[in-house]
Amino acid sequence: MFTTPRLILIALGAALNFSIGTVVYLLKLPIYLDSIGTILAALLLAPDRRAAFVCAWAAAWASLALSGLVNPFLPWFAMTDVAIALVTALLTVGAAATFRAHPLRSSSFAAQVVLCGVATGVVSAVVSLPVVVYLFGGVTGSGSAFLVALFLESGQRLMNAAMLSGLVNDPLDKVLQVLLAAMLYRVTPGDFIALLRG
Amino acid sequence: MTPNGAFTVGLVLIAMSLTNPGPRGSAILIALALAFAIIEVRGAALVALRRAALIVLPLALFMGLLWVGIVGKAPAEIAAGAAGTRAAALIYVARLCGRLLFIVAVVQLVIMRFDALTPLQLIRALALPVAAKRVLVITLSLIATLRHAIDRAHIALIAAGTLTRAASLRNAVHSWRLIQAVWLSAVTIMLGRMRDKWPVENTLSLLDRSLETGSARLFAGDDRIWLPITVGAAIMALIADRIGAS
Repeated sequence: MFTTPRLILIALGAALNFSIGTVVYLLKLPIYLDSIGTILAALLLAPDRRAAFVCAWAAAWASLALSGLVNPFLPWFAMTDVAIALVTALLTVGAAATFRAHPLRSSSFAAQVVLCGVATGVVSAVVSLPVVVYLFGGVTGSGSAFLVALFLESGQRLMNAAMLSGLVNDPLDKVLQVLLAAMLYRVTPGDFIALLRG
Repeated sequence: MTPNGAFTVGLVLIAMSLTNPGPRGSAILIALALAFAIIEVRGAALVALRRAALIVLPLALFMGLLWVGIVGKAPAEIAAGAAGTRAAALIYVARLCGRLLFIVAVVQLVIMRFDALTPLQLIRALALPVAAKRVLVITLSLIATLRHAIDRAHIALIAAGTLTRAASLRNAVHSWRLIQAVWLSAVTIMLGRMRDKWPVENTLSLLDRSLETGSARLFAGDDRIWLPITVGAAIMALIADRIGAS
């Protein structure tokens, strides 16, 4: 399971999550982009779903260990990362062939990106909800807190506001993340992928 | 004190701060953290506290602006359907930021305690499986590799006229090319290391050998003093406010 190339992949995924996620967090953008490395790690191990899940999970938690030094909210969302790794392994990995097809079949590519992104986003929003509401009272340091504030202003209760914010924000964020991961997957050299799967 | 002992003390302090302790419980946790800072970290504690403040201050400003400025109510008031006041929102944000400051400060104190160690030495001393240590070391090394890859790709794309030095619409349109170039650069570097450099230099087995701690004990030295004190303080923090209430 944990061959040297796969350990490298876990580290690459973690470094990618950390680098992009930290920049987005510090800019207070209303998205996260902190799971691109997790999704990409799983895609690179397709079609082996078990290896994809374990390596994606490990990449996510390794980046959590590092990101916690910059973003004190992030470690509490450890279970969200497990859920993202699981959905990616079960659903997104199935679209790996479409993502890498040459020539690109745009309609099929777009449909798979949206489907996988929305599914990952909905699961992520539901799993994150208890942490956002019960641990932080709906107050997190990311830009998505603007959406919670917006829904509260419109008269929603805290639980509903956090849920609606998650359901608006997470699917959009995850569609973007799946798109970026799929595009990086397309350009990854074949010999690197062969090394990972071998 | 060993890194395992320091991380355990840190984890207990962080876990206790999440139980939402009252004033007495909080005082016990702060006193323990201060004692750790003064006895174990000494002068470097100021650096750790400054770093923690630098991390939490922008967060506090953002949350203050959002919850005191825009929403103007505390979550509890919103949940109760009450009219709400900005003062209550301010108190809520201050409490939350205080708790985050405590957590970040504890993490920084634990790290500063071993400031003299290199990241490799620190990871080596942790009680983790060798595979996990190897991933952490390679991840840290890769973050540095990614930084170099970003610099190189950025300069190359500016030289090619794809990106500009200053902020521009062109940068927004072509930022994807930068991400792609960085990824390809990182993958190519890692392929080269895995295929040629590491086997020739025998890097991974040397790394594994240097990460193995052999028969080193999990806790040693001052851990035997700090760990019972920390567990005792945690129990005190849990019951202190209940005793006061009854």
